[in-house]
Amino acid sequence: MVVGEISQERDLIIIGGGPGGYSAAIRGAQLGLSVTLIEQAKMGGVCLNEGCIPSKIFTHAAGKRSETAHLQDLGMGTLDNLFDIKKLVTYKTKVIDQLRSGVESLCNENKIEIIRGKVTFLAVDRIGVENGHQFDIFEFKQVIIATGSSPIMPSIIQEKGERILLPHELFKLEEVPKHLIVRGHDYIALEAASSFAALGAQVSVVIDDQAVFPFDESINKELNRLFKKRKLKIHKELEFIATNETKHGITLTFQTDKNVEETISGSHLFVSGTRRPNLEALGISRFGIVLTGEGFVKVDGNMQSSIPTIYAIGDVTGGPVLAVKAIKQGKAAVASIAGQQTEVDLTFMPVIAHTIPPIVSVGLTEQRARDFGLDVRVSQFALGGNGYATITGKKEGFIKVISDATTEIIQGIHMIGEGAVEMSGSFVQLLEMAAKEEDIKFPHYAHPGFNEGLLEAVEGLIGQAIHAAPVSEKDLSTI
Amino acid sequence: MLEVKLHDIGEGMTEGEVIHYLVKVGDSVMTDQPLVEVQTDKMVAELTSPCSGIVKEIRIEVGQTVQVGTSLLYIEIDEAARADRKSHVETKQSAEKKAIPSIKLGEKSPHMPFKRVLAAPYTRKIARDNNINIEDVKASDSSGRITEDDVFRFLQGKQADTEPNKDSRLTEVSQEIPNEIPFRGIRKKIAEKMTKSLFTIPHVTHFDEVNMTNLFKMREQLKADGESVSVSAFLIKALVISLKDFPIFNAELDEENNRILLKKNYHIGIATNTESGLIVPVIHDVDKKSIKEINQDVKELTAKAIAGKLRPFEMQNSTFTVSNVGPLGSTGATPIINYPETALIAFHKTKKQPIVNEQDEIVIGHIMTLSMAFDHRVADGGTAIAFTNRFASLIEQPHKLMMEMI
Repeated sequence: MVVGEISQERDLIIIGGGPGGYSAAIRGAQLGLSVTLIEQAKMGGVCLNEGCIPSKIFTHAAGKRSETAHLQDLGMGTLDNLFDIKKLVTYKTKVIDQLRSGVESLCNENKIEIIRGKVTFLAVDRIGVENGHQFDIFEFKQVIIATGSSPIMPSIIQEKGERILLPHELFKLEEVPKHLIVRGHDYIALEAASSFAALGAQVSVVIDDQAVFPFDESINKELNRLFKKRKLKIHKELEFIATNETKHGITLTFQTDKNVEETISGSHLFVSGTRRPNLEALGISRFGIVLTGEGFVKVDGNMQSSIPTIYAIGDVTGGPVLAVKAIKQGKAAVASIAGQQTEVDLTFMPVIAHTIPPIVSVGLTEQRARDFGLDVRVSQFALGGNGYATITGKKEGFIKVISDATTEIIQGIHMIGEGAVEMSGSFVQLLEMAAKEEDIKFPHYAHPGFNEGLLEAVEGLIGQAIHAAPVSEKDLSTI
Repeated sequence: MLEVKLHDIGEGMTEGEVIHYLVKVGDSVMTDQPLVEVQTDKMVAELTSPCSGIVKEIRIEVGQTVQVGTSLLYIEIDEAARADRKSHVETKQSAEKKAIPSIKLGEKSPHMPFKRVLAAPYTRKIARDNNINIEDVKASDSSGRITEDDVFRFLQGKQADTEPNKDSRLTEVSQEIPNEIPFRGIRKKIAEKMTKSLFTIPHVTHFDEVNMTNLFKMREQLKADGESVSVSAFLIKALVISLKDFPIFNAELDEENNRILLKKNYHIGIATNTESGLIVPVIHDVDKKSIKEINQDVKELTAKAIAGKLRPFEMQNSTFTVSNVGPLGSTGATPIINYPETALIAFHKTKKQPIVNEQDEIVIGHIMTLSMAFDHRVADGGTAIAFTNRFASLIEQPHKLMMEMI
C-alpha cells in the first residue's frame, strides 16, 4: 500500500452506491452540487444485487407459477407445469445487469464521479480510499455514509455450510430446495416461504412463540389461514437449541411453545431477522461520532450526525431496513446540504410483502387505533365481492380501512390481495393528505378494477358497500 | 416501568422549564427518540428516551419549571414481561448478542412511533420553508386537519379559533385584542438573569472613546497581505491583555465568604443577538490564543449561536463579557453585567470625526465609543478608567500588541 502524500479535494462524497447513495448522488447533482460516489462492490448495493430485486424476481416467478390452474381455466398452459430454475437465474442476472447499467449511466449523465474502493476515515473531513495497491486521500466538505447493513447469524449457529442461507444467498440457489426451513417472521422470511412453496418446495416456517407478523391483526390471521391452506407448516419456537448440518441435509432443534423439544429436518435452512450496520470498517467510531443505543449512527432531521461534516442515511441510521427509507433520507440529506429545509417522516411508510397474494399495511392497525383510545370505525371488504377479482381469478384477500368516527379521518389502510403493492400508493397518499372518508367516496373509480375495493371498504364504514352483505345496525357498531 | 428524569444536561444546571413534549401518552418510542424539550438558562435541550417502550404517563405540565432529578414521564419498557420469561434463554446468547449492534426485522408495530401530523405534504412544506413547527399551528377545522390558510394565518401571528359555538356578536363589539407573545423560554431566562444582575450589583457605567485609526490602517495592510481579521478579534485580544494587568475585572465577588475570586482563566463571553434572544457563547482561554484563532472562534461561535447549535460547554464559564453592538449602530449604552461577573464592555459604532493630531492639525480619525459597566462593590471608577486607558493604548498603537504575543 502506497500512502499518497497529496490529498485531493472534493465537495460532497457519498460512501455507498445502494439505492440511498445513488439517489442522493443524482438529487445532489440536480441541486447543483458536485458529487463523488464511492462504491467498493457493485453499483445498486444489496438492494439491487442481492436483496429487493433478486427476491422480487423469485416472488414474481412464484406468482406466475401459482396461476397455472387459472391459465388452464382460460384454455392455456399445460398440466406438466415445468419449472426450470436455471432459466430463472439467467433471467435474474439479465434483469439485474440491465438495472445496474441503468443506474450507472444515470450517474454518468448526471456527471457524478464514481470511485471504486474501500473507505476508511482519516479525520472528520478526510478519507482514504483503498483499491488494490492504490491508496488515495480525499478531503471533503461533507460526506454521506450510506454503507447499509449486513445480516448476522443467530449465535446458536456456530458454523455455516452451504445449506444454511442468509438473505443474500437464498436467491442464488440453482435448485429448488426439497424442504426449505424458514426461520423468521419478517417480510423477507414471509416472501421466501410463500414463493418457494409456490415454486414447488416443501416449506416449514419456524417463528418465535411471541412473534406476530408485522401487519394488521386481520391480515396476520388471513396469512396464517393461507399458509395452512398451502400446506406451509408453522412451528412456534420458545427457544432455539441447535442446528446440525450434514452433506445431505440440515436439522433444526428447538423448544416448542408447548415446552417440548422438537427437531425438523430439511434440505436447507433460511435464516432471516437480524442485521448490523456496516460501520466498523469505516473506522469512524474513533472520531467520537454519536451512536444510538443499538449501535447505529445517530442523525438529526437533516440526517446530520453529531459530527457536522458527516451525514448518514439508510440502514446505518437504524429503524426499518428498507430502500424506501434510504432513498428518502438520501434526498433529504443532499437537499439540506444544498441549503433547503427538509423533513423525513416515516409515519406512513408502507410495510409491504410480495407474498402470494401480496400484502400492504399503512398507518394504524385496528388494535393500535383502539390502544390510542380512538373512536374506531372499521370496515373490511372481501375481494370475493370485487368483479375484477372474479374475472382474474384472484378472489383471495380483502381491503381493511380504519377511521376515526369522530373526525372521519382515515387512520389506516391494509390490504392482502392481488394488486396490493400498486394500490399502496393510493393508500399512502390518502393518509399523508389526512383524507376523510368523503375524500375517498367522492372520486370515480375505474370499473371493473381492484381499486373499487378501496371505495367499497370505505363505504362499508357506514354499512354502505354495494357488493357486500347488508350489515345490521347492531353489527355496524361492533365491527 | 422506567422514569425519565430531568438530568443535568450542562454543567451546573439545577432546573429546567418543560417547554414542549414531543410525544404523548400512548405513543410508542424508540431508544434515543427525543421525548421532551427543556429550557435551561442558556439553551433548549432535548431529553431522549433511554429505552424502547410506550409512554404511560406525563407527570410535569408544559410551562412548569422543575429541579434536576424530577421525574418528567414514565415509559413502559417493551416486552418487559417477556424478557423475564425468557431470561434463561437469553443468558446463553447474551454475551455475543450484546456485543454486536443490530436490529431485528419484522417488529414494526412495537418499535415504530406513531406521531401523525394532520396536514397535507404541501401544507407541511409551507410551514417548513417558513421555519414553523407545523405542530404549533392550530387547525380551523374541528377535526384537527391543518390547511394552508391555517399556516398563513399563523405566519401573520394569528391562530385559528377552534372553539365551538362562538358567539359572533361578541367579537363585533369587543375591542381589538392585543397580540400575545408567550413569555417563556430564552426570553424568560434573559429576564430572570437581568433582574438578578441589576438588583444585586450596584452598576456603574463608564464611557470612553478609542481612536481606531491606526488599527484600521494595520488591518488594511494585513488584508492586502491576504490576512483578513475582524476588528472584534483585535478588541478581544487587547481586552484580555488589559485584564491581565487589571485582574480585578476578571473576577467574581463571593459575598457569602467575604472574598473576591480573581479568575486565572480568561473566558470571554460574546453577547450575540439571535432570533430567539440574547445568547452568550464563550471563547475559552483567550489569553492562550492568537488574534487569528480568536477571529476564527468568534466567527464559528456566532454562527452556531444564530443557528441555535451551540453545545452546553460553549456557553459556560465566561469570566468577562463583551457586547459588540457597534455593527448594529449604537453610540452608547448602560449595559447590564453578566452576573456573577464583575464587568462588561460594550463596543459602539466607530465614526469618522475631526481630531487633533500630535502636530496640532485637524485630521479625520476613526473614533469608537465604549461603555464599560462594572460592579462598584468590587472596583472603583479610577481603576476602571486606568483599565480602559490601557485598553485604548493597545488599540491606538496596535504595534504594542506585538509585545504581548505568546
